[in-house]
Amino acid sequence: MSTPFRLPIQRVVAHGLTAWLVEDHSVPVVSLSWSWPGGAAFDAPGREGTASLAAALLTEGAGDLPAAAFTDALRDAGIGLSFGAGRDDVDGGFRCLIDALPEAERLARLAMTAPRLDQAAIERLRARAIAGARQSLETPRGQAGRAFWAAAFPTHAAGRPSGGTAESLAAITPDDLRGQLGRQLRREGLTIAAAGAIRPDDLAALLRRLFAELPAGSPAAPPALPVFTSFGQRVIGMDSPQSQAIFGHEGIGARDPQFEAAQIVLRIFGGGGFSSRLTESVRVKRGLTYGIGVGLDTGFGGGVLVGSVASDNGKIAEALAVTRDEWARMAADGPTDAEMAEAVAFLTGSLALQFTDSRRIANTLMAMQRNGRPLDWLDGRSERLRAISRDDAARMARRLLKPEALSVTVAGRPVGL
Amino acid sequence: MRLTRRQTLASAAALCAASPALAQNAAPPLPRPLFGARHWRLANGLEVAFIPFSRAPVVTQYLFYAAGGAEDPAGRSGVAHFLEHMMFKGSPKVGVGDFSRLVAREGGNDNAFTSRDVTAYHQAVEASHLGMILEMEADRMAAALIPQEFLESERGVVLEERQQRTDSNPRARFREAFTAALWGRQHWAGRPIIGWEDEIRAISRDDLAGFHARFYAPANATLVISGAVPEDEVRRLVDQHYGGIPARPAARRDRAPAPSQAVEPRLIRRDPMTRDALFLKAWMAPSLTAGERAHALPLEVLSHLLGGGQGSRLHKALVESGLAVSAGTGYDGDAAAMTEFYLSAMPRPGVTPERLEEAANGVIETLIQQGPTEAEVARSIRQLTAGAMLALDGFGAAPRMVGGTLSIGLPLDAVEFWPARISAVTRDQVEAAARAVLPSAPNTAAWLLPSA
Repeated sequence: MSTPFRLPIQRVVAHGLTAWLVEDHSVPVVSLSWSWPGGAAFDAPGREGTASLAAALLTEGAGDLPAAAFTDALRDAGIGLSFGAGRDDVDGGFRCLIDALPEAERLARLAMTAPRLDQAAIERLRARAIAGARQSLETPRGQAGRAFWAAAFPTHAAGRPSGGTAESLAAITPDDLRGQLGRQLRREGLTIAAAGAIRPDDLAALLRRLFAELPAGSPAAPPALPVFTSFGQRVIGMDSPQSQAIFGHEGIGARDPQFEAAQIVLRIFGGGGFSSRLTESVRVKRGLTYGIGVGLDTGFGGGVLVGSVASDNGKIAEALAVTRDEWARMAADGPTDAEMAEAVAFLTGSLALQFTDSRRIANTLMAMQRNGRPLDWLDGRSERLRAISRDDAARMARRLLKPEALSVTVAGRPVGL
Repeated sequence: MRLTRRQTLASAAALCAASPALAQNAAPPLPRPLFGARHWRLANGLEVAFIPFSRAPVVTQYLFYAAGGAEDPAGRSGVAHFLEHMMFKGSPKVGVGDFSRLVAREGGNDNAFTSRDVTAYHQAVEASHLGMILEMEADRMAAALIPQEFLESERGVVLEERQQRTDSNPRARFREAFTAALWGRQHWAGRPIIGWEDEIRAISRDDLAGFHARFYAPANATLVISGAVPEDEVRRLVDQHYGGIPARPAARRDRAPAPSQAVEPRLIRRDPMTRDALFLKAWMAPSLTAGERAHALPLEVLSHLLGGGQGSRLHKALVESGLAVSAGTGYDGDAAAMTEFYLSAMPRPGVTPERLEEAANGVIETLIQQGPTEAEVARSIRQLTAGAMLALDGFGAAPRMVGGTLSIGLPLDAVEFWPARISAVTRDQVEAAARAVLPSAPNTAAWLLPSA
């Protein structure tokens, strides 16, 4: 039995801003993370990648510091500051040694309030983003993933590549970028988390100085996730010795009341580590793949159950057939008592390991807030997990796993599909 | 996968590297060690390091063997890596496939990696389970089963891993061919760590058991523990679980010398799956353990000022000028033998390969002729060391850095005081290192081009 691990999470409120904090002075490091709803969800059709490019440009020069000077200021002080756009949010964050905190604050504020968006920086990052978008389509993994999301959500932002395509990136104008940042970087709607060597009072003061100058109002909320469009099986032909498959169907959101039962089921069925049913059947027993996994991809307030496997062109059909069989078996019978015991032991015992580095702690606090968890959510988690019975889990397995609804994209030269 | 001082930091610190704050704090009488690791050796030869960590009640074990892909027998590339997989197939006290399950049942996680120089196994668990992971790791050091009946299914897994990492990715295929062009397909440095496909298919159980017998001896291993456990408890548990493994002769690394010239100085590869071109160039270079070792730290500084992102010479001349999408250099002196100093660049659309290569060569030529400036060297040292202490944030970076250093035969001080050592590098040393490697060391220049 592992020692119960309790994590004191504090709520720090300042100037209308709320941050969650795990204070720890054992290492002289501070991590701060924040995010706004929005991101690629509001990229105009044909201008995909706008939010992503705009976020990357925030650290490419601000105030009177051109790009190279801004980067030097960060690197001279060992500050890791970055911004990025996801499908339904934009996030920012930094990690630094405590001596560098004032400089991190200065540069982060400058980036958000006075980004330069110099033409040269725009073109440099645009070229890099286009190259990245093109390269992602050089591999079966990139092709299968792109096709899967496009087919599942043909009319919603979840179906579009948040980093853009070569064509859409080329069409983005400086005004698009300015407009995006103006709508996005607001004083309201922020989710904030901090971890490390900072006291609550100091964090409150930091928040005020960091965000108070941003324009009032909150970014618009992204549109809810529509129903997953089932599309059966699609093959994207490309020359590769190995085929990549992405498969899945409608899932549940992180706020589902039975979310923790789903975590247990998925841990057993296809979760991380080396002992899931899918790993056992497809990798260990048959040697058909290097890795197979299934999980919930949550966003836009919903969730998609999605998995992936790569196998030799001649073996991918077998790998998928075995996967479908396992899907049906878990849906029909649920987990065994022994599997339940192991999964609950893992999920309860692994908590402390999520609190070893400040960025990871801050990210965990961000996820808890995004998912609407209360401050003491983790304190009661072990007890809640242990209270979930095998029958509860079997019910969830039946609800969550729908073998007949599986949609699959396969990229490569698959044999027998 | 390689995880050494530079890369661990790079992944741990993303943009930033290491701290002027540290240099200042470290300046008075003697610099402080970065991790304050304790270090001792058991009677059977096992080297042990312990790094205290108090943020959470957890502990991690890293066991490094001083043998990696470079130690694969001739014609059997991939043995070290295949053995890494088979180490999860049981030992006297741990059933086939049970290792990871037993760790997970206590909430922990585990994995392993094989690099050119080392094979390493690691787990992280709640602190009270240290004894369990030590016992299981020691058990497979003493007597891994390597069962024949699981060899073929695991060979399938390894072949799929090779296809996934390399064969289905045109850039990975190109990098593999590039490394072989410089060193030779059968040279220890030119073979892929995962192995050539036909050689993976030829590996037998005897090859794997032979590698284990030769290299997996206590005297050839470095055990690194980091966590919230008192040192005397760590010492007691390590003695209890590893102390009883009998000492036996450990094979030393026996690497062929670097070739006197590149096997293929120029490689042009057209690949129908490639959409954009890529330029690579690599020079054989000394490391902290081989060749003119005094050049190793200056080469790290050189790599930063020549191709370490924004503000570097290549970035200014190739990227900011609009010729390239990206351009940079890389060098890692933490290697058990000779290593590489490399350059990579991707041309912007419309820029010919000739023009980009000429511009890159021009930057290097100027640097060789005129050397770096004092200001460039000072800036690079500042930026390389500015975030050194960020390695204390989290408990994976420290054991990887310490284990990686010790298992290539360097003293603990090499990692504990690396910021001070980098800070002591002078402009003249950087210039000398550049002139020793860039004009004359054997090198290969290569282009990956779209086929149409």
